[in-house]
Amino acid sequence: MTEPEKWQIGGHHRKLGAMERMRGIARYTDDLSLPRMLHAKILRSPHAHARILAIDPTKAMQMPGVIAVITGSDMPTPYGVIPWTPDENVLAIEKALYVGDGVACVAAETEDQAVAALAGIEVEYEVLQAYFDPEEALAAEETINPYARKGNLSKEVELAFGDVDKGLEDAALVIEGDYEFHGTTHGAIEPHCALAKVDPDGLLTVWSATQVPHYLHRELAKVLEIPARQIRVIQPPVGGAFGGKSEPFDLEFCVAKLSQITGRPVKLLYTREEVFYAHRGRHPMKMHYRHGFDAKGKLVAVDAKTLLDGGAYSSFGLVTTYYSGQLLCAPYELGSYRFHSRRAYTNKPACGPKRGHGSVQPRFAMEVQLDKAAIALDLDPIELRRQNAMGSDSLTVNELRVGSNGFLDCLAAVELASGWKERRAKLGFGHGLGVAGSTYISGTNYAIYPNEMPQAAVQITLDRSGRARIFSGASDIGQGSDTMLAVIAGEELGLPTEDIRVLSADTDLCPVDLGAYSSRITLMVGNACLDAARKLRKKVTASVAKRWECSAKQVSLVARQAIDMNDPARRVDLVEAFHWAEADHGLLGEVGSYDTPKDRHGSYRGGAIGASPAYSFTAHVAEVKVDDETGEVEVVKIWCAHDCGKAISRGLVEGQIEGSCYMGAAEVVLESHGVNAEMGGLHHGPSFLDYRMPTTLDTAEIEALIVEAPDARGPHGAKEAGEGPLHSTIPAIVNAIYDAVGVRVDDLPVTPAKLVRAIEAQRALMGDA
Amino acid sequence: MNDTDKTRADEPAPAVSLLRFRLNGADVSVAVEDHRTLLELLRYGLDLTGTKQGCDEGECGACTVLLDDKPVLSCCTLAAQVEGRDVRTVEALAEREAAALLDAFDRHDAAQCGFCTPGVLMSAEALLMDTRRAVTIPEAARALSGNLCRCTGYTKILHAVVDASERLAEEDAEHGAAS
Amino acid sequence: MLPLLQTRIASPRSLDEALELMATPRARAVAGGTDLLPNLKRRLGSASLLVSLHALSELRGIEVGDAGLSIGAGTTLTDVATSDLVKRHAPSLAQAAELVASPQIRNMGTLGGNLCLDTRCRWVNQTDFWRGALGGCLKSAQMDPETSFKNADVCHVVPGGKRCVAAVSADTVPVLIALDATARVASTRGVRRLKVVDLFVNDGVRNLAIEPDELLMGVDVPTHAGERRERYVKWRVRGSIDFPLVSAALRFDLDGDVVKDARLVVGVLGARPKVVGVERVAVGRKLDAELATELAELAHRQCTPLENVPYEAGHRRHLLRVLVRRAIEALAQG
Repeated sequence: MTEPEKWQIGGHHRKLGAMERMRGIARYTDDLSLPRMLHAKILRSPHAHARILAIDPTKAMQMPGVIAVITGSDMPTPYGVIPWTPDENVLAIEKALYVGDGVACVAAETEDQAVAALAGIEVEYEVLQAYFDPEEALAAEETINPYARKGNLSKEVELAFGDVDKGLEDAALVIEGDYEFHGTTHGAIEPHCALAKVDPDGLLTVWSATQVPHYLHRELAKVLEIPARQIRVIQPPVGGAFGGKSEPFDLEFCVAKLSQITGRPVKLLYTREEVFYAHRGRHPMKMHYRHGFDAKGKLVAVDAKTLLDGGAYSSFGLVTTYYSGQLLCAPYELGSYRFHSRRAYTNKPACGPKRGHGSVQPRFAMEVQLDKAAIALDLDPIELRRQNAMGSDSLTVNELRVGSNGFLDCLAAVELASGWKERRAKLGFGHGLGVAGSTYISGTNYAIYPNEMPQAAVQITLDRSGRARIFSGASDIGQGSDTMLAVIAGEELGLPTEDIRVLSADTDLCPVDLGAYSSRITLMVGNACLDAARKLRKKVTASVAKRWECSAKQVSLVARQAIDMNDPARRVDLVEAFHWAEADHGLLGEVGSYDTPKDRHGSYRGGAIGASPAYSFTAHVAEVKVDDETGEVEVVKIWCAHDCGKAISRGLVEGQIEGSCYMGAAEVVLESHGVNAEMGGLHHGPSFLDYRMPTTLDTAEIEALIVEAPDARGPHGAKEAGEGPLHSTIPAIVNAIYDAVGVRVDDLPVTPAKLVRAIEAQRALMGDA
Repeated sequence: MNDTDKTRADEPAPAVSLLRFRLNGADVSVAVEDHRTLLELLRYGLDLTGTKQGCDEGECGACTVLLDDKPVLSCCTLAAQVEGRDVRTVEALAEREAAALLDAFDRHDAAQCGFCTPGVLMSAEALLMDTRRAVTIPEAARALSGNLCRCTGYTKILHAVVDASERLAEEDAEHGAAS
Repeated sequence: MLPLLQTRIASPRSLDEALELMATPRARAVAGGTDLLPNLKRRLGSASLLVSLHALSELRGIEVGDAGLSIGAGTTLTDVATSDLVKRHAPSLAQAAELVASPQIRNMGTLGGNLCLDTRCRWVNQTDFWRGALGGCLKSAQMDPETSFKNADVCHVVPGGKRCVAAVSADTVPVLIALDATARVASTRGVRRLKVVDLFVNDGVRNLAIEPDELLMGVDVPTHAGERRERYVKWRVRGSIDFPLVSAALRFDLDGDVVKDARLVVGVLGARPKVVGVERVAVGRKLDAELATELAELAHRQCTPLENVPYEAGHRRHLLRVLVRRAIEALAQG
């Protein structure tokens, strides 16, 4: 008797909650309102680096409608999403560290009044020298962050595997280059928003557009100095995050504190400008790479030196610094590897995790290096990658265990779909194809705060009307995690997704989940869900088998029915089956857990950071047209093949691939996040007009190709798809530009001005030769 | 002195006018401060929170509503400017287009976080109402070129709009053939 | 949100009523609001009274008559872009209107509003917090006199500059000038007419020669006999939403294939559009690739983009030459 075909897994599903969101019925955080609600606004520093000498809120307190004003000293406990680096205060206490750093917060009856009251808070600053360049900051005497332990060195990681120097010495070809990746930010359309209320018995409830309700919960307890059990964090539907909402922010603490002080609900909605100041986006990186190859093009050694520009606070910086080296050891065998990454504090909005956290920038450099090698060796760039690909069930040079590996299939898929072999040589000047590959983690084995508890847990109950309820702490930030859980549970229990309710991200109702970051949810929460669902399935099939007097193994749960696989005419409605099971077992509820394997990484210090239960793989081909006179790059089409292990729900995976490609492409040619060093560290343009995100008319045609190399550690073999597909978009486009016009731009973004200069310089060079 | 006393005592009263307009098919009469935008009125005055605020500066399209059947940015429209006019928000998508668009968006997974979607649907609905035929991807792209989406990369959104327009055109053809 | 400051609003139903209201001190006219509202939200300018023009049907309309192609100032950009009359008599104007911003903004924004679009500068078109942190500048200080700015007499674009060089950034303006349009401006004192080119003064703080109590009524574009080739050139980074970073209007009147008259008007330089002196070179010449290169070179020499709008001035100057040349080459091909 064979296992029935999966009837849910791998299909297309209507997304849970989609209708409510689309029709404007779902309530995002700013859509919430409570009686007697106050509105809060944060006063921000106009200086990039300044000592706060005094704050006088007297005038503000006398203004119409103003109820309370708080400053940094009202919440002096420093915090940070990474417990080893608690280096920020809710509101700056000793010094403001960047233009936009919050220094006070006012609550008033109306938003108009709160905005007006900001002018009534008088702050006396002593302006200090500000550092906008990470190298200057590292060389400076003055320490920017008052909690920093090593001056302006935020984090340093040096790791070596094998003998890199020998490898480079013996290499037949060494490619060496300097690469620069600028800063970019998340740009989620929903600005951050938080609402807090305190009940008469002291229970604090905070609604927030966050991806990490659990971390927020912990930090609220720490900073407000109240027990965690007195706090409830609820994450309403979130309007996009991409890593920009994956740590606690000032507004969440402020509304909580003001709510405690005033006894009234308090809401704070960031302006779009404030979202740019909160930032926590992609670190600008300066990278120096040396890649050594043997005569055939096999990698023998890689040496990387990376400088990360961290901004004013650590955020996830400790992890970013590790990732900038640790995550580059697949999909190619490197032979030997050494990296030295340093993260510097600077007087700018703090950098943190943006989709692809810490590995997007080095991947860009790596894949351009490979392209240069291919050209030098007269090898097809895809062939060079094939040659160096590591297989499945292998060990990377930095001792990370790779399970399933569909990279070669990904390369083959994009090679075929783009017509690479036939078209590449035939495209004329100004028209090019480029390729790149990458890998990413499906969640991290590294728990943000050290503990021995499972990394994910899900609770499922079945009821008498034939429905399942899944309680999960996981944050659906639009990626469809609720749907993914419903599909997994539905597969086991014979339920269509319409019959499944997912209650997520409420710390009172749901189990702890660490949050939607590092692409962990499908693998970790999915596994926990699978665990719980299978336990329930066992009970249900056992109860049916008992009444049918057969083996539980022959009872199949599919499409709202229990069916005897040996005699398919014998079937019963699932509602009845649930009743039988409840009669036998009592209330049908099970908990499922997942904990990451602890044996899949090296035992050296930092070995766990970058370790993941399973790795996804991606290959991109990009087609571009370059106008050599204007320098404009038109990305005509992007083919992305992504090995997600198993697509639990195909539409969701395609959506992640397409969204990742769109976002990666934007980082090459359009977006640039930075401050003006000559003008006191003011943000270049904190608006959606100046920070140019692609419109429909700026986005390439994207072809998403799902590749499946199931991994034993993933639920049904599933691995991540949320961040991996972004990585190789960038170097594929950059390599395509080289293919089109024969010039390299190794520092992003590739602006028209830069490209024209590079083309003209190239021509001058060739003209002189 | 309690909170509300404080509010009343200390500030000049804002100018308030009575605004009468047609909202989602019904006549509405509401007192609005003169300096309020249509977006503020909808979201905070009338609790119609389907229309979203992404930037409040006219740069993202999340606040798109239909004013006399044309997509406009409600954050840059003064509430007073809709006096006597017809406003429609996502809460009342036009019946004919709504079903087709919502179904197509759902089938195509065209909404991820859903935050831009109300604005996108208003722009898409206007395109379908204007053209009353099957549209192409480039046409859909132009019509939606003022709506920023950060999640989807637009691919599924554009296919959903085209799909919806094709279904409506089929329906029209059937009705035409039947009559 | 960015709440507006308290103000009063009036929605006159007749032009006379509107003009009376415009005589109120610190009254500001608002049509589509797509430029005024973002500016007011950022405290760039203020108003004691907003006079909404949305109910003035007499300001809307497109017709051809003795004055030529007459377009009411209250006509939306969408209507200008899609009008058969405009496409026939002034196709580059329809083209320019179609390229403004985004569909929503074109539905709201009017031709008059576009003409009166405030000048733009990276140091000015920011929030009040941002400009305060910068210390302001010449324009900031004048538009926001309530705030004391430490850099009130500084220009961040031209070191030591005493005159504001914020850039005229309206897509329809270079075209209207190239087509020799006339503007009709009204107040309680009556109606006056002046060439659109004369509407603009070289002051980035207030670059329009329109009194605070005046309303733009409409523009008249002379119709023409004979063959005319015209085009609007716009460059921006994205394909929608953005203001122009390079902006040029071209018009050639031909006799056979010989140029009888020519205009090239360039925007997004300083506060005033630049009328490039092309007639001397072009008249009497064949409209061909050679002329295209020469005129593009002329534009390149005469036009100096500044670091006022957010894109490298040097590259914009380079682009102006390339795009003007290409546009003329395209026009030469008919």
